[in-house]
Amino acid sequence: MTDVSLPLADGGAVRRDLIRRATGRRIWRRRRFSHVATALCVVAMCLSLTPLVSLLGYIVARGLPAISFGFLVHTPTPIGVPGNGIGNAIVGTVIIVGLAMVMAVPVGVAAALFVVEHPGRLSGTLRFAADVLTGTPSIAIGVFAYAVIALNFGFSALAGSFALAVLMLPIMLRANEEAMFGVPAELWEAGLALGSRRSRVVRSVVLRSALPGMVTGNLLAMARAVGETAPLIFTIFGSQFYALRPTAPMAALPLTIYSDATQPFPAAQQTAWGAALVLVVLVVVVSAAARVVSARLNRKAR
Amino acid sequence: MTTTDEMPASGVTTATLPCRALEEVPRSRDVRRASAPLVSGGAAATPAPAVALHGVSVAFGAHVAVRGVTLSVPGQGVTALVGPSGCGKTSVLRAVNRLHDETGGRVTGRVLLGELDVYASGTPAELVRSRVGMVFQRPNPFPAMNIFDNVVSGLRFCGIRSKSLLADSAEAALRQAALWDVVRDRLREPAVRLSGGQQQRLCIARALAVEPEVLLMDEPCSALDPIATGKIEELIARLASHITIVLVTHNMFQAARVSDHTAVFLLGEDRVGELVEAGTTAEIFSNPKDPRTRAYVTGHVG
Amino acid sequence: MTTEAAIPSPAPSPFSVPGVRQLLDRRPPGRGRLYGVVRWGGAGIFAAVFVALLVSLFEQAAPALGHMGPAILWREWNPAKNQFGAGIFIVGTVITTAIALIISVPVGIAAAVLFAELAPRRIAGPMAAAIEFLAAIPSIVVGLWALIVLEPVFSRHVEPFFKKVPVLDALFHGPALGASLFLAGVVLAIMVLPTMVALSRSAMAAVAVEDREAGRALAATRWQVARQVVVPGARRGIRAAVTLAMGRAFGEAIAVAMVIGNNTGVPHSLLSPGASLGSAIVNSFSEALPGSLEKSGVVALVIVLLAISVVVNAGGQLLLRRRKPTTPPRGPVDATGGAGGPDPLLDLAESAP
Ligand SMILES: Nc1ncnc2c1ncn2[C@@H]1O[C@H](COP(=O)(O)OP(=O)(O)OP(=O)(O)O)[C@@H](O)[C@H]1O
Ligand SMILES: [Mg+2]
Repeated sequence: MTDVSLPLADGGAVRRDLIRRATGRRIWRRRRFSHVATALCVVAMCLSLTPLVSLLGYIVARGLPAISFGFLVHTPTPIGVPGNGIGNAIVGTVIIVGLAMVMAVPVGVAAALFVVEHPGRLSGTLRFAADVLTGTPSIAIGVFAYAVIALNFGFSALAGSFALAVLMLPIMLRANEEAMFGVPAELWEAGLALGSRRSRVVRSVVLRSALPGMVTGNLLAMARAVGETAPLIFTIFGSQFYALRPTAPMAALPLTIYSDATQPFPAAQQTAWGAALVLVVLVVVVSAAARVVSARLNRKAR
Repeated sequence: MTTTDEMPASGVTTATLPCRALEEVPRSRDVRRASAPLVSGGAAATPAPAVALHGVSVAFGAHVAVRGVTLSVPGQGVTALVGPSGCGKTSVLRAVNRLHDETGGRVTGRVLLGELDVYASGTPAELVRSRVGMVFQRPNPFPAMNIFDNVVSGLRFCGIRSKSLLADSAEAALRQAALWDVVRDRLREPAVRLSGGQQQRLCIARALAVEPEVLLMDEPCSALDPIATGKIEELIARLASHITIVLVTHNMFQAARVSDHTAVFLLGEDRVGELVEAGTTAEIFSNPKDPRTRAYVTGHVG
Repeated sequence: MTTEAAIPSPAPSPFSVPGVRQLLDRRPPGRGRLYGVVRWGGAGIFAAVFVALLVSLFEQAAPALGHMGPAILWREWNPAKNQFGAGIFIVGTVITTAIALIISVPVGIAAAVLFAELAPRRIAGPMAAAIEFLAAIPSIVVGLWALIVLEPVFSRHVEPFFKKVPVLDALFHGPALGASLFLAGVVLAIMVLPTMVALSRSAMAAVAVEDREAGRALAATRWQVARQVVVPGARRGIRAAVTLAMGRAFGEAIAVAMVIGNNTGVPHSLLSPGASLGSAIVNSFSEALPGSLEKSGVVALVIVLLAISVVVNAGGQLLLRRRKPTTPPRGPVDATGGAGGPDPLLDLAESAP
């Protein structure tokens, strides 16, 4: 046999023996190490799960007793006065987030169409701006909405909606854009080859096939907006009544939680837990809707 | 060659003995033998096969991929596994080093590696794998590692830390894989910078570095061009002088060129793979006993 | 931050396919005018919002920025003396974020490794989904729980315990009040953990099966495959996850304001009540009269926060963008003899020993 292993004639044999011995001998130690490391990972998982389970447990355990029909429809009462409720805050959250969606969704779709149809420097800049905005602390957006709207026109639901819309816009833009990029080029091509107008191609072919992704992305952005407090805290001011006018101050669930949680009275804290439960349910419903809708539309598209 | 903590106390004397003889020296802490149930019998005249399969079947859920394979792979030399696509060659190969353990394949029957019962309850998979190298269909160097780290990764897994031993082994393995001259000055470069053929030889070097007794190769040339294929075949022929190689190939010419023994797999009536015939390559190609083998071989070669 | 929005997948534009662009351009002009207005309108509004954000914030902050100059970065916050520095708040932000990362990075990666590699798939799937679901819980709810449930536990048990630990007691001294920089850091850790786990897990899931098999075939144990093959293979994604978690920890205001103690003085220990940029903005903004220099000072704090978050997030986005394919090209390849030319896309720094 020609020596291909090592310059030294018998070095290969020595090394081979050394290695074969070493590999065999350490196996149980290595397995034990693997098990210990796995156990540590289990500990890490428990560490990360415990607070989250406790959190969910408390929301349910403290929130459920607070909830009654009256609690869901009444307006707040002064501390100690029975008949307290968060009805106006629930309605306020729905109105504010609804208005924010009305502002953000069309802009998000249009801007995404722009990015998809005009690849180049301009789109790149737009996309970069979206990425930066996505990471912008929501408190900054709240201060911005205050400066632009509340300062000039007074506190109002619209100011809060505007803040939430600014918060959602970059997320929506990126989600829409990705959904549209997912549309196979052949589909665009096929539509155009049939001689249809560009806007019709977009409407009939592209948007329809990108729809599941877009709906999911927009609903997930909405789920995030529903729970945001910071953009509302300087903009909507809060209200003790059913206020339905978007140009007037309005209540919202996150704000109710914030103001009641920081009060030292058990009754206020109970209100906060009840509102937290309702808020979490809202967020979960919207996120679940995002997934259901996308699954349903995906199936239909096939 | 430096002595290190890897060197057993008696290493100086035992190391000069030929490797096979070493296997017989009893060492209480050596798992290789401690947990290896011996097979009884076997004619003393013929050397024990390097790998022996007794009625091996592999199933994925309800689907049986290959059934009842009984095959002796003689020590040293090249044994080729040939057959049409889907007849279970890869499945059989992966049964030898227990790679089905993690992927949900169920192996029944008996596999012996020398005297080690591969699927005995006391046999750790790591032990089997430290004695069996494997080269995959597509070159798969670890993308996050440089060339040197790739080659010695198996040794590091086995707990070998000695710098000089790692360096020696890396050089020896790369020389064996005919790659040393190409990479000696770029050992710290990422392995993915190598060409595909070089990457495959790096994978061979990586497998050889742990000094396996058996090398499993699953269509190692199928992702390579003819020149790279030629290099790998040359390498296989050279390695066969001191290591047992089991080679899966679709290329009948390759089987004829490089193998000493050939096992032919075909799909049975019920779409389940089975071993049809095994023997020396010369026999199988010139004078097959089974008519199905004849049809397959002539269909591909003649 | 939803995980879906966090990782932009690099997809080719349909217009990179030759022919489509030309087909579009051949459409008769004019007939798609409305559609053009829609596209440009959307982009215009988006850009306008972005610009307005910067302009209005700077406009509001200008008086305080001019008043303080660069000293805003290190001075204290003392409205009575007309001094509007962010120094204390920057320190508070850095401390709380550091605590959050020290806890959440190792714990989050370990949990992700468990879900991606070590646990049986049947258990790992639902557990990971549960943790990822928790990423959607609003921070105000976490703040409520931290304030009412966690704070008493900290003042009674956790903080006194750390005061007794030999080396750490240098960091943990003073009265255990509950509300502190330490508690704020822990709350942030709890808030970013789901994101850490979700993003690291998806990065690990993207590591090729072939790499894992190579590790197994070389006799690596399960842990070794995870630690030495999968985690290094996913390191870019993990680094991006850390950056995004950091961005979230920096920017969180409400939940932190609920538990940090809101003290604008110099913190002497991790148990001191303190303030971060976000919490200071929340607390000082409503107090300051509109049009006052103090109000402007608060907006200046927003600008400082914005600057930090832009740096952090731009870093994270760059990491995500530069993420090279985790698998090397594995198609049919060229001849072996010649040395493969270095791939300009792969950076040397990555691989340097
Ligand atoms: N992980 C798996 N899960 C389920 N079925 C599998 C799996 N791996 C292989 N099979 C099935 O087992 C059968 C044999 O597959 P195998 O890969 O062993 O064939 P092969 O002879 O190597 O084919 P080829 O020459 O194409 O590589 C096939 O029907 C295949 O679908
Ligand atoms: Mg195969």
